[in-house]
Amino acid sequence: MLTGVSEAVYYILAAIIIGSGVMVVSMKNIFHSALFLVLCFFGVAGIYILLSAEFIAAVQVLIYVGAITILMIFAIMLTARLYSAQIKQSNEQVVPGLIIVSALLVITIFALSKTTWKLSSQAPETQTVAEIGKLLMTTYVLPFEIVSVVLLSALIGAIVIARRD
Amino acid sequence: MNYVYLIPLFPLLGFLINGLLALSFKTRSDEKIPGMSLVSWIGCGSVGLSFLTSITIFFKLLALPAGERVVQKIAFPWILSGTFHVDIGFLLDPLSSVMILVVTGVGFFIHVYSTGYMAEDKGYARYFSYLNLFTFFMLMLVLSNNFLLLYLGWEGVGLCSYLLIGFWYEKKTASDAGKKAFIVNRVGDFGFALAVMLIFWTFGNLNFTSVFENAPQVLAFGGGLVTAITLLLFMGATGKSAQIPLYVWLPDAMEGPTPVSALIHAATMVTAGVYMVARCHALFLLAPISMGVVAVIGAVTAIYAASIGLVQNDIKRVLAYSTISQLGYMFLACGVGAFTAGIFHLMTHAFFKALLFLSAGSVMHALAGELNMQKMGGLKKHTPVTFWCFLAGTLAISGIPLFSGFFSKDEILWKAFSSSSGHFLLWLVGVITAGMTAFYMFRLFFMVFLGKSRMNPHVEAHVHESPKPMTIPLIVLAVLSVIGGYVGIPKSLGGSNRFEGFLSSVFEGGHEVSAEATAHAPSAEYLLMIISIAVVLTSIFLSYRFYIKNPDIPKRLAAKYKTAYNILSNKYYVDEFYNKVIVNPLLNLAWFLWKKFDVLVIDGTANGIASLVKWGGGVIRKTETGYLRNYTLSLIFGAMLILAYFILR
Amino acid sequence: MDWIIPAVNLKLILPEIVVCLFAILILVTDPFLSKERKIWSAHLSWIAVVIAFIANIRLWNLQEATFTNMFLVDNYATFFKFIFLAGSFLIILISMSYLKREEILHGEYFSLILFSTLGMMLLASGFDLVVIFLGLEIMSVSLYVLAGFKRSDLASNEASLKYFLMGAFATGFLLYGIVMIYGSVGSTNLGQIINHITSNDAGSNLLIWAGAGLLLVGFGFKIASVPFHMWVPDVYQGAPTPITAFISAGPKAAGFAALLRVFLFSFTTIKMDWTMIVWIMAALTMSVGNIVALAQSDIKRMLAYSSIAHAGYVLVALVAGGETGVSSALFYLLAYTFMNIGAFTVVIALGRKGQDNTKLEDYSGLGSRSPILAILMTIFLFSLAGFPPTAGFMAKFYVFGSAVKSGFTGLVIIGVLNSLISVYYYLRIVVLMFMQAPVTRTDNERIKVAFCAILVLIISTWAVLQMGIFPQSLLSLAQASVSSIF
Repeated sequence: MLTGVSEAVYYILAAIIIGSGVMVVSMKNIFHSALFLVLCFFGVAGIYILLSAEFIAAVQVLIYVGAITILMIFAIMLTARLYSAQIKQSNEQVVPGLIIVSALLVITIFALSKTTWKLSSQAPETQTVAEIGKLLMTTYVLPFEIVSVVLLSALIGAIVIARRD
Repeated sequence: MNYVYLIPLFPLLGFLINGLLALSFKTRSDEKIPGMSLVSWIGCGSVGLSFLTSITIFFKLLALPAGERVVQKIAFPWILSGTFHVDIGFLLDPLSSVMILVVTGVGFFIHVYSTGYMAEDKGYARYFSYLNLFTFFMLMLVLSNNFLLLYLGWEGVGLCSYLLIGFWYEKKTASDAGKKAFIVNRVGDFGFALAVMLIFWTFGNLNFTSVFENAPQVLAFGGGLVTAITLLLFMGATGKSAQIPLYVWLPDAMEGPTPVSALIHAATMVTAGVYMVARCHALFLLAPISMGVVAVIGAVTAIYAASIGLVQNDIKRVLAYSTISQLGYMFLACGVGAFTAGIFHLMTHAFFKALLFLSAGSVMHALAGELNMQKMGGLKKHTPVTFWCFLAGTLAISGIPLFSGFFSKDEILWKAFSSSSGHFLLWLVGVITAGMTAFYMFRLFFMVFLGKSRMNPHVEAHVHESPKPMTIPLIVLAVLSVIGGYVGIPKSLGGSNRFEGFLSSVFEGGHEVSAEATAHAPSAEYLLMIISIAVVLTSIFLSYRFYIKNPDIPKRLAAKYKTAYNILSNKYYVDEFYNKVIVNPLLNLAWFLWKKFDVLVIDGTANGIASLVKWGGGVIRKTETGYLRNYTLSLIFGAMLILAYFILR
Repeated sequence: MDWIIPAVNLKLILPEIVVCLFAILILVTDPFLSKERKIWSAHLSWIAVVIAFIANIRLWNLQEATFTNMFLVDNYATFFKFIFLAGSFLIILISMSYLKREEILHGEYFSLILFSTLGMMLLASGFDLVVIFLGLEIMSVSLYVLAGFKRSDLASNEASLKYFLMGAFATGFLLYGIVMIYGSVGSTNLGQIINHITSNDAGSNLLIWAGAGLLLVGFGFKIASVPFHMWVPDVYQGAPTPITAFISAGPKAAGFAALLRVFLFSFTTIKMDWTMIVWIMAALTMSVGNIVALAQSDIKRMLAYSSIAHAGYVLVALVAGGETGVSSALFYLLAYTFMNIGAFTVVIALGRKGQDNTKLEDYSGLGSRSPILAILMTIFLFSLAGFPPTAGFMAKFYVFGSAVKSGFTGLVIIGVLNSLISVYYYLRIVVLMFMQAPVTRTDNERIKVAFCAILVLIISTWAVLQMGIFPQSLLSLAQASVSSIF
């Protein structure tokens, strides 16, 4: 359970995530959106640390901030038209969209609030990296192998799309 | 006997290969017909192989003890839906083994004959593929172990018959004849389909063995249900086997190539009705009324068609009416419970009628397609082989002693008289028909082969005997027509009637009826035999007087009895009657329904609904904007609804 | 630290291994092939499918799980793998001539097809939501790229992009659903889920319900059920035609494989009654698919809507449930694979380089230009419309029959009415082919059909007629496949 300080930190992080998330989709300049995405990802990494999942937090920063967002920023900066373009951030379906999404949100919150959560009584692992590595090599060896195939096919896809004929 | 499935399989393969060949040839436009020998080998070979298989299986069946000669082979389950269970299965018993021998044997010789007869035809491969397909369906029909598969074969042979009658579809009369055959047969098939449904409804099953075994328990003797079933079955038979009132298609069917007339419209397909009635004898024996109907319709058809045959001048039409008349004989036999005699006559008839048709084809071949007997005569010296073969066939069909037709026809006549469900009148009609048959057959024979030539001199110069592929089947069939009856020499003539003994295990119920018959003294049988021989010989003598000695007698007679002659030569005006009473009113009704009812009421409603639906399609189509944001919104909307339903139940 | 390596039975996963290894082999060898020899990649790929098929036959009647209960081989999975492999085999064959014609013959294409097939096979065998999700991803990622394989074609690019964006979006729902189920059950294993649901009063646990709903959205997208179907027409029309055929056959069946397994096995109807919502989805899917198909003028788009409608018929089988319901669904998917690929093969045969000829009027007078193609197309269309004696008739017959048996007569009536509507747009093409004069066109030369395409046409025609006339053998296979999931 979250108590005291950690509870306060949690709410701050949540505010950062939601706030920057809203900024990502509402900024008119796509470059600014990308920068807010970095902030958003950092917030998520913070949540992971709060949950004693340091390894996931590190991976989150490495991959999402360090690789994906940086790649996006490069793409934006290399594409001159995108860098300076002012992008329209709403369209004719704002009203129906808002209604439907709010309804979805309300329903989800309702479902989550009514749920009795399954809580683990175990103390948090301290050696998370080793434990994850062990699980990936034993119990989860099949998904682990399949993920490599997913990445491989995505890689081929990227090559096919980017290749010069 | 496990290889019984091979028998229909060979012709099916032949059909597939020849069909593909026919399709691939069609695209080429060269004058010469390519791959003819290949087509011939496949076409004849496939039927020949199934003939050989049939012989092997026949002897295996013969080797079994008489009581065990019923073998069922299930190839695989066909339709399984709830309680509805139908197999692709074969029933091998003496009855079906005789049928497969006739179908593959006669079929094989007719295939061989066709290689000569059709040699000049553009649609050579198409012809053989149809012929093989026909053989396949016919074999399925006679080998089936249930009603549905029988029905499949039944419809299949009907389709092939339609295709082959209209084989020269460029000719309007040919395509019209094809249509007529198809439509008239539909009427009969409708009755047959109803019968099959009634049987399923009553028995919950369509397998022959179980239906026939349960029939005495399920159906009351002479009850309404069994009478309805059997009459509907017989309705199907009248269509396929050209009996009154549905016989009208068969004479027109002569528009098809002559070997087709021999195979389908004389030897095999038209006898399917007889086979079916014989196969269902267990049901028919439970319905005395239906038996009576079968016997009377058979007898009336026999004499009726024979009387028309007396005055026809088209060589193939004479044979066509003769076929109808002989089929009437077979039904007469079935109707009096003498199923063995019916099947016996079916077999001998297949031999001599195929022979007669093929000989007629040979004559047409010699005379460049001439069909009118008035323009023939004296062909004996030009075509000796055809002459002798035709003579054998004529003697056989007329029932001259020692020829095959004699034994089978006499068997029927004797049973018609002596059987407990027979009657003196039925016998009398049969004997008169026999006399007429002898008369018109010898009339045909004399007019074509003997006497003075009435041929067009231009044609006469080119008259020639047919090539070997045509004459060899003729000779084989002639031999069969002569000796084919010896398997069934009646006991009274010192034979043992092995044919009847062989089939007796199938027709156990029918046997009881004929068992009573043998109670009569053999002297009665001799007397009847002598009477019918005397009638036949008199007819032949009359025919000789009319057409060889004094060729003007017929003309004088025709002048004297003008009305009778006109009625006969116009086939009792039945076609005209059907046109006036059935076809035209139907056409008028159809026209009315189409122009008034259909266009205004049905189409109006249907078009209204259709345009409403189409309009709806157009409206929904507008939601396909191509914009991803709309698609996404729809997706989220759906997700929201599903979640809302699941959570707020 | 103790390392307990779980027992692994590689024999069970042999078909998957074969497909995967060959996919990589193609990638490795393709660069060394000269331009004329590129077709060898295609040969390698169909060989892979054949070997996998044979390996799969050996798994028939086996019921065994491996990889700590994550990968299950049972007749249900094996039957679906037969469908996928047969579909992929046919698609590879028709792709060869198409790729040559469009001059986009690259080895990656076949490699991606194999990867996609691998994903489908994992979907069928996955006994853990994680494996199912990953299988779905392998399948989808490969398809996104394949849809855009004609890179010079704007429509193909558009199809790829739309498919990718929508697919990623739908995958998000699916993943979220898996997370919710994990949150309440504590495991993603289907066996654990069913244990949890039957032992606890899961009906009141809203989180499982929410998770199930989101899974339904995710799978509903893959099988193209209304209202998650909007991507279908655009993607089907833009993608290279063999890929369109591919998407409509294998991945749809794979989506159903996972959907049926998860919903009928884990979210058993005894504890969770989701029948009503699927009932509505089935009715909507059939109706929207068929009605909008009426208004189409492009055959690929028309077949796209028809494929939506067919998903609706299979959903009817899901509603019916029970052994008869599932076996009829399996039979339906098998039949649909053949008749649909057959129809698309004819569509491909009519195309020219850079000119697909997929307008409906391109079919006018095909009966006189190429009678055999027209007859085959008629057989496939009759089957799609559900006329006897074709596979489509038998398939509909079994599906509707099972639904009537389970008491969903109302849904069956909607289904039959829809079949009637569908007759209109299928027969319209038949009428065009046989009763209209050919449109005057410049390229009126004879239609040449490549050998491989002829092979596909023969196989599909045979299958369609075999299943229509003698359905018993394959139906009993389907019936033997379903007992394990109940």
